[in-house]
Order: sequence, then C-alpha cells, then structure tokens
Amino acid sequence: MLSTSTASSRALDEFERALRRTPPVTTGFVEYRFSHLLKKPLHVSGTLEYRADGVLARKVEAPYREITEVKGEQVRIEREGRPARTLSLQRAPQLRVLLGSFRALLEGRFAPLSQDFAVALAEDDTHWTLTLVPRDARLAKSLARIQVSGRADRPDCIAALEPDGDAAFTLLESAPAQDAVPARSALEQRCHVDAKRAEPGS
Amino acid sequence: MTRRSWLLLAAWCALLAIGIAWIQARLHVSADLRLFMPRPRGEQQRLLVQNIGESPASRLLLVTLEGDQPAVLADISKRLATALATRAEFGLVANGAQAPLAIPESLLPYRYLLTDSFDRHSLDAHSVESALADRAADMASPAATFLENWLPRDPTLEVLHLADRWQPPAEPHRVDDAWFTADGHRALLLVETRAAAFDPDGQTTALNVLGAEFERARGASPARLAASGSGYFSSIIKQRTQAEASWFGGIATVGMILLLWYAYRHIGFTLLGALPLASGALAGLAAVSLLFESVHGITLAFGFTLIGVAQDYPMHLFSHLRRGESAVATARRVWPPLATGVASTCVAYLAFLISGVTGLAQLACLTVSGLIVAGLTTRYLLPRLTPAAAHDPADSARLQRINHWLGRLPRPYVLLLLVPVAAALVFWLRPEGFWQNDLSRLTPVPPELLRKDLALRRELATPNLRYLLVASGEDEQEVLTRLEALDDALSQAVQHGAIGSYDHAARYLPSDARQRARQAKLPDAGELRTMLHEAAATSPFDEQLFAPFVADVARARELRPLERADLAATPLSLRIDSALFHREGRWYGLVSLYDVHDPGAMAALGNASSPQVTFLDLKDASEQLVAAHRSHILLCLDISALLLVVVIAVALRRVSRVLRVLAPMVLTTLIILAVLRGCGVSLNLFHLISLVLAAGLGLDYALFFEHAADEPAEQQRTLHALLVCALSTLLVFALLAFSTVPVLAAIGITVSLGVVCNFLLALLLTRERAAA
Repeated sequence: MLSTSTASSRALDEFERALRRTPPVTTGFVEYRFSHLLKKPLHVSGTLEYRADGVLARKVEAPYREITEVKGEQVRIEREGRPARTLSLQRAPQLRVLLGSFRALLEGRFAPLSQDFAVALAEDDTHWTLTLVPRDARLAKSLARIQVSGRADRPDCIAALEPDGDAAFTLLESAPAQDAVPARSALEQRCHVDAKRAEPGS
Repeated sequence: MTRRSWLLLAAWCALLAIGIAWIQARLHVSADLRLFMPRPRGEQQRLLVQNIGESPASRLLLVTLEGDQPAVLADISKRLATALATRAEFGLVANGAQAPLAIPESLLPYRYLLTDSFDRHSLDAHSVESALADRAADMASPAATFLENWLPRDPTLEVLHLADRWQPPAEPHRVDDAWFTADGHRALLLVETRAAAFDPDGQTTALNVLGAEFERARGASPARLAASGSGYFSSIIKQRTQAEASWFGGIATVGMILLLWYAYRHIGFTLLGALPLASGALAGLAAVSLLFESVHGITLAFGFTLIGVAQDYPMHLFSHLRRGESAVATARRVWPPLATGVASTCVAYLAFLISGVTGLAQLACLTVSGLIVAGLTTRYLLPRLTPAAAHDPADSARLQRINHWLGRLPRPYVLLLLVPVAAALVFWLRPEGFWQNDLSRLTPVPPELLRKDLALRRELATPNLRYLLVASGEDEQEVLTRLEALDDALSQAVQHGAIGSYDHAARYLPSDARQRARQAKLPDAGELRTMLHEAAATSPFDEQLFAPFVADVARARELRPLERADLAATPLSLRIDSALFHREGRWYGLVSLYDVHDPGAMAALGNASSPQVTFLDLKDASEQLVAAHRSHILLCLDISALLLVVVIAVALRRVSRVLRVLAPMVLTTLIILAVLRGCGVSLNLFHLISLVLAAGLGLDYALFFEHAADEPAEQQRTLHALLVCALSTLLVFALLAFSTVPVLAAIGITVSLGVVCNFLLALLLTRERAAA
C-alpha cells in the first residue's frame, strides 16, 4: 500500500471525481458493532439512502425494523412498536459531524469533510483507504477515526474506531447479515484496518 | 441701589446657595419609569405593573452583532460571551453556545425525582426490559458512540429526557452554534446585568463594559454591536435627556439674556430677573425631596419646564415700571393679575397632585411650590432690589407704532363660533385613536427603539408576552402544587391546538409532595437488581454493567426533596426565578404560553381552575388600567377647571370680565386638540400636562391684557411685558419640540402652539380698544 500522511489536494480531487454520485444514492449495508458494554457483538442489516431532497435515511430491516431519517437539523427515529422520536442535531453536534461524514461518503463529496476531519488518502493498485481523524477534541474523545476503504469508484467498508477499542464496521453493497458474526480480525482485514493503530491502548 | 438693598441681595443669594447645597445632599433621582405609570388597582394590574420593572427578565440586555461574515460574527459572539462571564457586572450570558439546560452533575441522582417518565408506568420490570431493548437498538445506530458513556448509569436515558423536556419550545436560528436572527445577518446574545433595569448609572457602566469587551473580542473585524432592553433604555434616556438639557439649556439661556437685554437695556434687570425663578426652582426641589423618597429624572425635566412660567413674573414687574413710581408701588399695582394667574395655575396643577400617579404628584408638588415662591419673591423681595427704570416702554415710539397697528386689527369674534365648530368637525371625522391606550407609550422610550426591541424578542423566541396564567399562594410549595394541578388541562390545550406549548417553574422544580410521591414509587436496590437480572437475560447487555444505575436509584430514594437553593447559580435558576417569585408576602407562579391560538379557551381554563389561578391578558389589563386611570385624571382636571373658574370669578367679580379672560384659553385648548387630532396624534398624559401648561399661560396673558383696561400707556407697557413673556416661552418650547425624547417633543410642540394662539387670541379678544 502506498501510504501518504496527508492527501495531496490533487489526488483527493481526482479521487472525489471518481466517486461522485448524484443523489438519490441507495446502498445495502450490514453493520457489526463490537463494544465492551455488550456480551456479544451486535449486527443489523438494511439500506442507506441519500435522497435527492437532501434527506439521509438509514433503514434497518433485520433483526428488527427501524427507520432513521436525517432532514436538515432534525433526526426522526421510527422503531417498530414504539412511538417515533425526534431529536435536534443542534443539541448533538458530534452526531451531526458523524452523520455529515456518511452523507459526504455516499455522495462522494469530500470538501465538507475537511472542515471537521483531517483527511488522508492511501491508494494501491486495487484498494484505497480514506482516513478521517476528527479535529474537534470533544468528538475525538469518543471517536478515534473513521476509516473508509474501497476499490475503484466505490467504497465498500466504513470502520468507526473508538479510543477505548470499541469499533463498528459497516459493509456496503454486501449480502444480508448472516446469523453468525464474523471474527473481528476478519472484519479488520476486510476493511484494511490496521488493528494496532485502532487500539492504541492495548 | 442702597446699602440695604445690597445686603438684601447678598442674603437672598446666600440663602439660594445654602438651598442648593442642602438639596444636592438630599435629592435622590430615580429612573424607575413606573413612577409615571398609574397606581395599579386589583390583583391583575398589580402583577402587570410589577412585571414591568422587577422581573429578572427586565434585567436582560438583548445584544446584536452585525457587519461581518456570519462565521466571524459567531466567533466574536463566543469570545464576547466567554469574556462577559468573567465580569462582575453581568450574571448569565447566553448566545447558543452553552450546553442545553441539563441537570447539574452533582445533582444527577435527583433525576428520578424530577422526571415524569415513571408517573404513569412506574420503574418496574416492564419498563426496565423495554429500556434495555431500546438501548440495544441504539447500540446498533450511529448514536451508539455517544451513548456508551451514559448507558451503565442511565439506561432509561432520563438525563436526555429531562434535557428534552426543559428545552425551550422554540430556539433562535443558529450559525456555528451561535444564535442568529432568522436572516442570518446578526448574531444574538442575551446578557443579564447585575444592575436593576431602572438604575441608569449601573446600566451605563454595564453597557460600557460590554462595549469594551466587544472591542477586544472583535479584533480587526468591522463588526458592530447594538443593545436593547429596559436597562439600555433607562441608560439612553438619561444620557439623551442630560445631553439635550445642557444643549437646550445653553441655547435658551443665551437667547433669554439677549432678549432681556434688548427689552430692558440694563444688565441688572437680566440678572435680577433670574432670582424669582431660581428661588422657585429651589423651593420646588426642596418640597419634593421632603415629601418623596426619590424624584424621577423626568419629573425634574418637566418640573423645570413648567416652572419656567415663573420667568414671566419679573417681566410683568419690569415692563410696568414708570418714571416717578417706586418699584414697590409698581409691584403692588401688577399684583392682582399676577396673583390671580399664580393662584389659578396652582389650582390647575392640584389635579395632578391627586391623580394617583406618583410622578405626576411629584410634578404638581414641585410646580405649585415653585410658582408660589416665585410669585411671592417677585412681589415682596424683587421690587426692593429693582433699580429705577432705564426707560418706560410707554415712551417707545416703535412699540407705539406696533401697538397702534395691533389696535386697528379687526376683532375676530367669529372665532368664538368657528373654532368650536371646526374642532367638533375634526373630532367627528377622526373618532378613532383619540386616546393613547398603550401603556408602553406612557414611558419616555422612543417608539422606534421599542419596535426594534420587540422584533429582537421575537427572534429570540421568547414566549408570547400578552397572555399569562398566574397561580398564587401562601408559600412556594402551594404555588408549585397549583401549577402541577394545571398540567393536565394545559397538555390538553396543547393537544387541542389552543396553545403551542407552555412553561412554568414546576417543570424544573416539582413540589415537595410530587418529589416524595415519585420517591415512594422507586424500587429498592434488591428489586431493581432482580428486574435487571431478568431483562438482561434476553438482551445483549450484562446485568453487572448497570451497577451505577442501581446506585443512583438507591440514592434517589434517600434524598431530601430538591429545593430552589440547590439550583442557585445554575442556568435552571434563571428559568425558575423569573417564573416563581414573591411580592408583598404572597407567592406567584407564572405560566408562559407559546403560540396562543385560542385565548378564549385559555381564559376558560383559568376560570375553571382554582380561584388562585388567574388568566392575564396583559394588553387588555394595561389598556383597562390606562383607560381607568385617564378617566380619573380627566375627572381631576374637570374639578380643577371648575376651581380655576371660581378663582377667576372671585378675583374679577363680573361675568363679562370672566368670560373675556377665559375665552382665549378655551379656544386655544380646542385649537391644539383639533390640530393634534388632525395630524392623527393619539393623546397621552404628557399632552394633558402640556395643555394645562398652555392654559395657564393663556390665562396669564388674558389677565394682564384685561387688567390694562383701555388706558393707552398702560396697554403699551402690558404689550411690552407680554411680548417679552411670550417670546421667551416660545424660545424654550420651540427648542424642546426638537428633542429626540418623544414626550419632551410632544410637550414642546403642544406648548409652542399654545403660546402663539393664546397670545394672539388674548390680544385680539381680551384687550379692550384703547381710549382715544
């Protein structure tokens, strides 16, 4: 892998052009979460949508149904069998940054990202890896970095790595979740995550 | 002048000097605008007037920053807020960058006494199980990253729930986490001053600190700062009044000296002429500071304006001096009309003394005592100092020509009919808005500032200020319980769309009774562990994880109920203090209503509740207050008008003389009213004051013209005196008409008009044709 510490703006520009999509963008996903709070890892699957009207929607289809819609500053969460909840991103600035990065990735626009993250791009013949390190100190306390990896013009994995060693892996355009959660090391490999860097404490 | 008169002059001046020193030590000037508001009657009006001056909300300054890119303004706003928070002049500072209202870290276990989550379904096996299921789903969402820290201590997310519940229903627009106006051009800050709203000096200091900190925070940016709010108003009114007073005072003094020198050609007259006015002003100030605790700055400004009439008294003496007659004899000769004028003017001001408005009573006290002293000194002290006349106005050829020309003018008796008819026509054509019923207009704050303030308050999404529900009780707990009892009806009103939302103190600080009831329903540690054990079995969480939660609930069961004092110095206290307070031994809780769509339904809700709950329509209440108050003042004015006629009748004794003296004053009053109405001006208290002042002047003019009878020489002296009087008065009030303080301008315009009309009408209607 040809590693660069900070992406040159020219390389990023070319890369961005390659990934650029016009909304609506829809992609299936499977997400695995490893947390020290959990007895065993969680996994959910569904679709991510970035609509033409700017709404970001995350639909969980298994093992339960849930729709989260981000419209401007409002987040609306509808969970099966529960009244809908709304919350304002004005009061959750860190979540706003995180959701903003999702939106940027789906759309393939990185310019807004560099405001909140230090962006680094590494490429080799088959893969690329985009690393986002939060600039805001408060966000950095709960999120060490986001690592997006893919091949050619499409991302296929988003890994959110936390300072305490917890991590979430979102596989895009992938087959629906199987009952068995893969081993964490397998996911790290698939997403090109350097495990040592992911867990500086251990 | 003899040695005796020099001694007398020295003694008089010494007395004035002592008076000045005494008053300076004693006089306390206040800027409380409520001194000029009617005294409230009944519960509603009392709440209304108190709300205007004392509520913590009145100490909030609204600050805007503009003139640069929004991102730069947001940065300046944050730097400014941080800097102000360290200054002693300010309490809380809010600009949107602060954390949302939340329970303070040290009081976290109290969340189980403050939350309404377990009022309907208690914290039982079912709610624990569904909370864990929800959290499991949250863990599989992007929010998981931020929830992880809280989960072990707060699996039901009560901290979030309370923050949600306490969030204001509407918040200003934001740019980069700083409040902005909806157009995004101006950053908004709310700053609480330590100084009271009606402490202009404290407010000025605070505003200066604000300005200095802003200069530091803005760096090289061209941004500008503007402030608004009651405190800003009291500061700016004081500054404007002071600045204008010295300007106008300066110009008027120079003008007066020139006028007097031109009229009497003797510098001694100019200097002596100031003595009665100075004595009257000092006597008035002494009387007010003896009878009242503090004097409003506006009382002083108006008072000196009204006492200015006394500047005429020495003119009457000086203009009537004759060769070969001692000044003392002249004073005796002009005394009857002068005394009648002083007495009737004082009678008119008595109406204000019993008006029920402290500011007006002070005004009356100052004016009446001032005029009496000025009149008496003109009669008894001034003549003993007055030098022999340099020349007799009766000898002036130029004045004689003017006098002859005036004498040949036709007598417009037709006006006696024409003016009342024309005035009636104007009143009939423009019936609406005759009286100003807006309480806020009774304050001397320029209306454009009030409009800007209102627009800013709207941007800051402060609640609808017109409608309120007020609960009262013997103590804090009684009021809190009463507020809680309203919750069901209020949430129904929200569901039915009568109001958008509501807010009251018990939402932040529940009553002791409610806190204890919640406490009693909480499970003990053993019960809670069993619930967690069962719920965790089917969830991805380990039951041991929630030990901090079990500890907090156990702690909540032991706590004494949360008190107001526990919340002091937290942002929550600001909310509570402005909505829960005691006045004169009784406690009040205000329910703010947002987006009121159906005031009738809210009034019905207030009526259906306990008798200690009142629905308050502030606009309605204030209009009623003003209207009731005005009819009271009008009644007082009627009485004083009657007394005035009695005084004149006693002095003049003949009906024809009385009618001739009263005609100019009555016609002038009608003309002024018709002109103001014709221009669409709604009358307020200050117009009434001016009308009384103008009437007093008119009466003086008519009395002197009448007193001169048909003797040509005496008529010429009187004409001289009244020309000097009218011109000097016109000089002062025409200047006042240019004031930027609206009430001062209103007085200036009204009185200037009155002087001109009264002089001409008295000249043409009251003065007899000279004997051949």
